[in-house]
Amino acid sequence: MHYPWWYVPYLTSPMLIALIATIHIFTSLYAVGGGIVLAGEVSYAYKVNNTSLLDYLRSHTFFFILLTVVFGAITGVGIWWIIGLSSPLATESLIHVFVFGWAMEYVCFLLEITSAFIFFYYWGKLDPKTHKTIGWIYAVSAYLSLVLITGITAFQLDIGNWTPEKGMWSAFFNPQTFPQIVARSGASLLMASLYIYLHAAFKLKRDINLRALVETRTATWSMVGAVLVTIGGAWWYYDLPASSKAAMAGASALNILTALVFVASAIVFFMLYFGPHRNPGWINPGFAILYFVIGIAATSTGEFIREGVRKPYIIYNYVVGNNVLISEIPKLQATGYLNGGVWTKAFVRAHYPQVFDSEGNIENAKLLQLPENDQLALGKVLFQYHCNDCHSERGFSGVSEYTRGWSESMINTVVTHLDKAHYFMPPWCGSQEEAMLLTKFLEHISLSSPAGMKFSGEITQPKPDLTQMRIGGDAK
Amino acid sequence: MNPQNLIAPSSPLGNPAPFWFITFFKVLGFTLHMIPMNIWYAGMLLIAIFATFGKNHAKELAHRLSGSMPIIIAIGVNLGIIPLLFTQVGYYQFYYPAGVLIAWPWLSVIFFLIFAYYGVYVYSLSVRNNKETKFALVSAWVSSILFIVIGFLFANNFSLMVNVNEWTKIFSGTNVAGAVTGQALNTSDPTLFPRWLMMFGIAMMTTSVYIAIDAMYFKKASTSAEYKTWAGKFAFGFFTAGMVWFAVMGSWYIFGEIDKYTLAQLHGDPIMHAVFLLTAISPGLVWIAMFLQRNGVKKSSTIMAVCGQLAVLTLNAVSRQWVQNTELMRYRDLSKEAVNMQWSPMVIFLVLFVVGLGVIAWMISKVMAVEKNVASTQNQ
Repeated sequence: MHYPWWYVPYLTSPMLIALIATIHIFTSLYAVGGGIVLAGEVSYAYKVNNTSLLDYLRSHTFFFILLTVVFGAITGVGIWWIIGLSSPLATESLIHVFVFGWAMEYVCFLLEITSAFIFFYYWGKLDPKTHKTIGWIYAVSAYLSLVLITGITAFQLDIGNWTPEKGMWSAFFNPQTFPQIVARSGASLLMASLYIYLHAAFKLKRDINLRALVETRTATWSMVGAVLVTIGGAWWYYDLPASSKAAMAGASALNILTALVFVASAIVFFMLYFGPHRNPGWINPGFAILYFVIGIAATSTGEFIREGVRKPYIIYNYVVGNNVLISEIPKLQATGYLNGGVWTKAFVRAHYPQVFDSEGNIENAKLLQLPENDQLALGKVLFQYHCNDCHSERGFSGVSEYTRGWSESMINTVVTHLDKAHYFMPPWCGSQEEAMLLTKFLEHISLSSPAGMKFSGEITQPKPDLTQMRIGGDAK
Repeated sequence: MNPQNLIAPSSPLGNPAPFWFITFFKVLGFTLHMIPMNIWYAGMLLIAIFATFGKNHAKELAHRLSGSMPIIIAIGVNLGIIPLLFTQVGYYQFYYPAGVLIAWPWLSVIFFLIFAYYGVYVYSLSVRNNKETKFALVSAWVSSILFIVIGFLFANNFSLMVNVNEWTKIFSGTNVAGAVTGQALNTSDPTLFPRWLMMFGIAMMTTSVYIAIDAMYFKKASTSAEYKTWAGKFAFGFFTAGMVWFAVMGSWYIFGEIDKYTLAQLHGDPIMHAVFLLTAISPGLVWIAMFLQRNGVKKSSTIMAVCGQLAVLTLNAVSRQWVQNTELMRYRDLSKEAVNMQWSPMVIFLVLFVVGLGVIAWMISKVMAVEKNVASTQNQ
């Protein structure tokens, strides 16, 4: 609304955030957990003077750098890119609250990059004490970056007592920060272990003893991770705002997925205990791949749930899903969404100057006096800006599917009572006339009820194809 | 469509710091980012050319540059975060719409960067393992081309940011029911090409200075006197070419394409007039330092060139920032935005920044001590 909306057909542009963020989290968790595990294991290897373990850890560090410094770092920058494109108002708000938090994270990144390269390239050249210290500098700075970014994403889910006057710390220490830090700390250790299993299963295929040692030691880290994920997850659920709990209660898919994540964490814990911890040498390449895929699936699911329960907000009680500030909604309802939006107003002015009054505002009553096709066109504009954040026309979360068989009055009731019909949707942010325009557009694109379904003895028929009827001329 | 009406309202949150602070860190961050970015921008092309066609010392230069390139890129990408961060804080009303209007090309920067970076690693590892395959050469070429394309896309976004008139044209031509498809580029902007090409000239100059540093200070034990002579000569020639390129493209921009409003403001501001003059002539001072080592790199000349080039980059960043602020002034005075000062986060950031630099300095001192030991052992 404040910014032009980016139309991505079939998918919706915010889905690109999900795509890039999910890919990023696989490596970013490894970047944190891997740093801790590597620093810990290198310290151990020096302590017991195990040179073959040190050699293995060196080769793993190179794999670690290749993945985290390149792919992890650039997909992290990619999140910056995509949130600015798909959610500019929310990004603008977040950055005004947390700019110094992100600046602190940048210092952590600088430390991470410098220490990671020195840790690897000066392996065997630095004395053990300095080498270990640099490893721990990496681990601490990477962990601090996790803490900082988690506070920011947790703020999106629950702003707590924050008000704009209270500044960053009030926003950072919100009710969700610590539960999410605990859960993500665990996830980072768990993911790091899975990467190590994967790497060691191939790299140490023939060195069974060393592989067994790596497995046993890594299992301890990963079991700690599994426990932290479970504790953090439960704490996260306990401290969820009521809207998120309601969103979970109302969406059976989210319930099932949450249960799966908890069950998977428990299974992983026991598998780690009875597997690599008690029976070293257990993990072969095939099993390591399977383990890794399960880890990726569980992580993606966890992130999906975390994002899913935030609806209808991008920032809880501050910015709703369709990039509107909560404080703007009453005015938009009174004077119109098209009138209130910078780019929607410019569009209407360019195409329908006749609906403007002498003071340069859109007269909502005039909208319904436009020819039917123009009303549909403006209905589509409203759809793009008000709905396309979550819904496509036909494709991902397609409204033409959701409104199958709905009558115009049903659609209008839902449009004008969006937040009542579904509490995980934002309220209608426009005038009644605009609601009618959107209704007409949705009715226009809605599909008929699936054919052949039987209720009360009547079998549903598909909607007649109006286009064909016009072409064929046999509408009668 | 009045372009003035396309600018988003101010954030009710207010800026977390005064506008001068935001601008200062933006300029500082951009100056720091330009150093490594320049080296990969021109340096990767040099690697690709010398790796394919070069012999003896030229090939050696490609190998030396490729060894440090992965680290240079990692540091450069990181140093790019700060200017981007402060651009989003202080210039959001212009930065976001420009990005959305060219969303797909702008997003492609990320994918290009991933491929370019891995391409650099492929070539660098092939040199390290003494296996310079065709695939590695192709990777070097692909990376160098991708970096130049990325530069073009950056020039697109940052020129579009200040060219609000162009927003209306792109919006009218690329929207589906008022939502933009994000498939446009800012190619009809006459300032785009000189802006893009000018940076390549600066990159050539910075890379030349880096070649001198590399020959003078890095891999001392394996650096022959002949290579040092060749490197001094080549760096001088490359710098001269870069300086001429910069002068031509800069003249094209300043005397041909920059808008009259900005030029009039410049003429009315004696301080900025002097800064612009210094920006134009500063490469000449570095050129003298490079000239002095045309028969072989010398410590004193290299240090002089480094200091000079830092001044060139700083002056460039300051001039660019002034131009950006002046161009945006036609639409909105961003320095008048409300400020909701965040003192304690700012102080903690500054403290962390200083502590972080201290820790980095400590780590580098350890590395230098190791290098010194290695060099003295090899000399014995």
